[in-house]
Amino acid sequence: MSHTVERTRSIARERRKRTTAATVLSLPLILFAAVFVIYPLASGTLTAFQSSTLLNQANELNGVDNFVSLFRSDGFAKAAGFTIGFSAVVVAIEMVLGFGFALVMDRAFPGKKLFFTLLLLPIMVAPALLGIMFRLLLNGDIGALPALLESIGVSVSLFSPDSVIPLLVVLDVLQWTPFTFLIIYAGLQSFPKELLEASAMDGAGYVRSLTSVVVPVLKPVLFAAFFLRAIDAIRTFDVIYVLTAGGPGTSTTTLSIFIYKTAFEAGDFGKAAAAALVVLVCLVPFVPFIVRRISSTGMEGKK
Amino acid sequence: MSALAPNPTEALASASSERTPKRRHATAWVFTIVAGIIALVVNVPLLNAILVSFKPDGEIARNPVSLPASPTLDHYANVLYASGYDFPRFFLNSAMIAVGTVLVVLVIAIPATYAVVRLGFGGRWIISSASGLRLLPAIFFVVPFFILFSTLGLQDTIPGLIAANTFLNLPLAIILLSSALRDIPQEIEEAAAVDGASIYRTLGSIILPLLAPTMVAVSVLVFIFSWNDYLFALVLSTSSATPVTLGAANFITSTGIRWGDISAASVLSTLPPLLFAIFAQRYLVSGLSSGAVKG
Amino acid sequence: MSRKAMALGAMMMSAVLLAGCAAGSGGSGGDEGSGEGTVKLVAWPGPEGDAMTEVVDAYNAGQGEEDGIDIELTLLSRQDTFSKEAALMASKSSDVDIYFTASYNIGQFAPSLEPLTDIDTSAYFPVAAEGLTYEDELYALPLDVSNHFLLYRKDLIDALLSDPAAQAEYERISESVLGEARAPKDPNEWDLDDFTVAAAYFSQSENPASPTEYGTILQAKNLLYNTMIWNDVLWGYGGNWEEDGEAALTSDAAKKAVQLYADIYENEWTSPDSSQAEFPETQAALQSGDTAFAIQWSAAFAALNDPEQSPDVAGKIAIAPVPGGKTHVHALAVSLNKYSENKAAAKKFLSYLATADAMTQYAEAGGIPAVPEVLEAQTAINPAFEQVSQTIAENGFSEPVFPQTFQAYSKIAEDLSGAWVGQTDVDEALETANANLQELLG
Repeated sequence: MSHTVERTRSIARERRKRTTAATVLSLPLILFAAVFVIYPLASGTLTAFQSSTLLNQANELNGVDNFVSLFRSDGFAKAAGFTIGFSAVVVAIEMVLGFGFALVMDRAFPGKKLFFTLLLLPIMVAPALLGIMFRLLLNGDIGALPALLESIGVSVSLFSPDSVIPLLVVLDVLQWTPFTFLIIYAGLQSFPKELLEASAMDGAGYVRSLTSVVVPVLKPVLFAAFFLRAIDAIRTFDVIYVLTAGGPGTSTTTLSIFIYKTAFEAGDFGKAAAAALVVLVCLVPFVPFIVRRISSTGMEGKK
Repeated sequence: MSALAPNPTEALASASSERTPKRRHATAWVFTIVAGIIALVVNVPLLNAILVSFKPDGEIARNPVSLPASPTLDHYANVLYASGYDFPRFFLNSAMIAVGTVLVVLVIAIPATYAVVRLGFGGRWIISSASGLRLLPAIFFVVPFFILFSTLGLQDTIPGLIAANTFLNLPLAIILLSSALRDIPQEIEEAAAVDGASIYRTLGSIILPLLAPTMVAVSVLVFIFSWNDYLFALVLSTSSATPVTLGAANFITSTGIRWGDISAASVLSTLPPLLFAIFAQRYLVSGLSSGAVKG
Repeated sequence: MSRKAMALGAMMMSAVLLAGCAAGSGGSGGDEGSGEGTVKLVAWPGPEGDAMTEVVDAYNAGQGEEDGIDIELTLLSRQDTFSKEAALMASKSSDVDIYFTASYNIGQFAPSLEPLTDIDTSAYFPVAAEGLTYEDELYALPLDVSNHFLLYRKDLIDALLSDPAAQAEYERISESVLGEARAPKDPNEWDLDDFTVAAAYFSQSENPASPTEYGTILQAKNLLYNTMIWNDVLWGYGGNWEEDGEAALTSDAAKKAVQLYADIYENEWTSPDSSQAEFPETQAALQSGDTAFAIQWSAAFAALNDPEQSPDVAGKIAIAPVPGGKTHVHALAVSLNKYSENKAAAKKFLSYLATADAMTQYAEAGGIPAVPEVLEAQTAINPAFEQVSQTIAENGFSEPVFPQTFQAYSKIAEDLSGAWVGQTDVDEALETANANLQELLG
């Protein structure tokens, strides 16, 4: 009897100790969040329900007016449509290419270390500067690429309305495939080798082994690469803004460009906050689902 | 990278078709060529920037493709001292911001992630909301941050920009660290607890070494992202905390873009993250693989 | 889970209340200050910023010492200056004492600015001072003026005018473009029809023997500054944004103006890439020698005429008024932040900037001051000064100042840039633009 009490006490003491430790360890995060996360988040959310423009800075609550005006014109819906379509296309291409690059790099060959570093280089260039570099590279009069194409007899107009969207897709792929490559490559490194040996013994061909063994086991990795890339693709801003400013018309306006213009050109910070909030509310339901996927280990699939 | 370890797809390829050692050697060179071409293509903008950065102004429009006929270091001189902008300080600011952010992110994220994952503090919703934060366009936070920073006296200071970049990068760190932690067998800690080690000691002397690769991976990514930040720096710095991305934008003038100067600035500003990544390369990949993306 | 949600909700609620309080207490309305100390000033890089740097340095070394004032100048990139200022204003910041402003955003920024009293504007171009006046108050001190010119290759035009065979070819092209055989003219005498024919003549799509690939380059990117250039064509055809407060973008003039762009674009008398062109692309097109002429900003001339920067075309570029006879004019300016905590000192510096001495120095350092007398006295510095002065006085126009001017320029570019390059229907685009403009006019 007293033995059980003693044990219960000890467990309770242990639990208390753990709770104290957990609180102490979380303290930096709690403090940081209290100062730098809760307030900006709340203040931004509040702004979405206020009339907060450069012309009227009284910041009075105006209910859902910002949301109403957001949906009254089709600008927001069109930007959302373009963003979703653009993101879907670029992420799909980047996933396939990233996977392909990872397979290419996943073996020993001369110069591998050098090329590995070079492959990662594009994500190290500041996106804001990369946009400017593209603008120079692709310029029809002084850019190297059109000049090169012309010298081999190909005359293209990269920025004409018909070619500008494919162009932006290509540029995004050039910039971000290294990111998906890195994550998938990393996943391949911890790929359970026994599985492959087993499949090789089955006499399965390369392609069949790839689709029936590698892809299923790498699913969590691919999913993570997809998720991390998709989040950022939905926020695409710099390169497109520098190259097209969202045009011609609004044909290349992403959500981030729409929100940026709403805040800084129209001076309507309330409406910009409302738009950001709508984006968040639409995407947030997916988050727990995805986080569960990513933080579960791939081994579960094997069991 | 891991030349010693058998690579899975290579093993797969060689297992499914028999090859002589000689042919294997030839195949290896094929991969060198393929990898080289890919590396070349993705880096065309940067290579072009390097080329342009050595051309005198008059030549940039004249010879778009060719090598500089009369190479010049003027653009680098402009970036480093001659333009009237204090680029050495911009570089120093960027370095302090990036290194500071890496340190603060690690100091905040490691214990908190441990508390969440191992000690059951809060729960998964903390991680979910952290990733949720990354979904919001940064513009959403720009004005609130500005007001907050003005109140706290952090406006236009290095600590202020470190705080802002920490805010941007914490989600990434928490996600990567939490899944790395899940991969570490819990038995190790239980054994330590039986030996009478406190939770803090377990974390410090057992968990941290195991987490090292992921910490390096997080450091590299956070360094790159905070080095490259533009929007927060634009709003939250005025003069004394200006980072190099913002400084480079000074070459976008009201009478056009100074192509040579901004190319040189872009090239130079890519070097620190590159050096950091080369230094950390071996950890970068093994860190990531034991992290969020464990297969 | 629900307890956590509640805790989170409570946390959010209290933070919202906190945020509300903070927002409510912000913005004290500024302070006169001691009349001494540091004054912070923003400008953008380029001739305006460079010139301002020299004026500030001279002031700090000279009169600033007497006044006990030290001016601190911050340059921001051209594309971000106004975004940064908008963020500062939305936060009611006192960070910057003197903002960089312009005719096209003074209406939007006015609520955050202190009107300038006691400034005598008689020395400035009337169109510049009017462009900075909103509800009868002057909100900014004019600094620099920008307008457009036709920048053209004088060597090519001279060759055309002295070659009878080329003239015959020109007339043939004119016949097919306009249905009227016009003879080539000096660009100083062009109307918009001559502009169109010349664009065709100098394009290889129309005239394989053309010395340039394209006749002109249209700045057709979705960008507010490009609306200003298209406005020249609109005004040249006798149109305007509005008449008596009613949006007038469905007028025949507006249709002709958009159609002119679309025709030039679809016939490839401009590069297909001009759908994403603005100032730098136009410079590149002229510098490379691929293009014969363009409507471009006055500040562009200096670089095109500089053998270091433009070895192929320097000395061959000349200036003519915009065909159609109308040029947009805006003033870049400096304004006093309403929330500044050192207004008295800032005002002292603004008074200094208003002197002829300061503006002469500004011109010598590369700016184009908004003071006709200074411009005319300084033609030795920049040969374009005389034409700037004359053109602004005779042909300059400025859209009316209303609170949403800045957004209207952006919105028109957004609504019309598709139609400029033939991607959307001209009438539909103008209907949309007109409706949006009407809403912005209030």
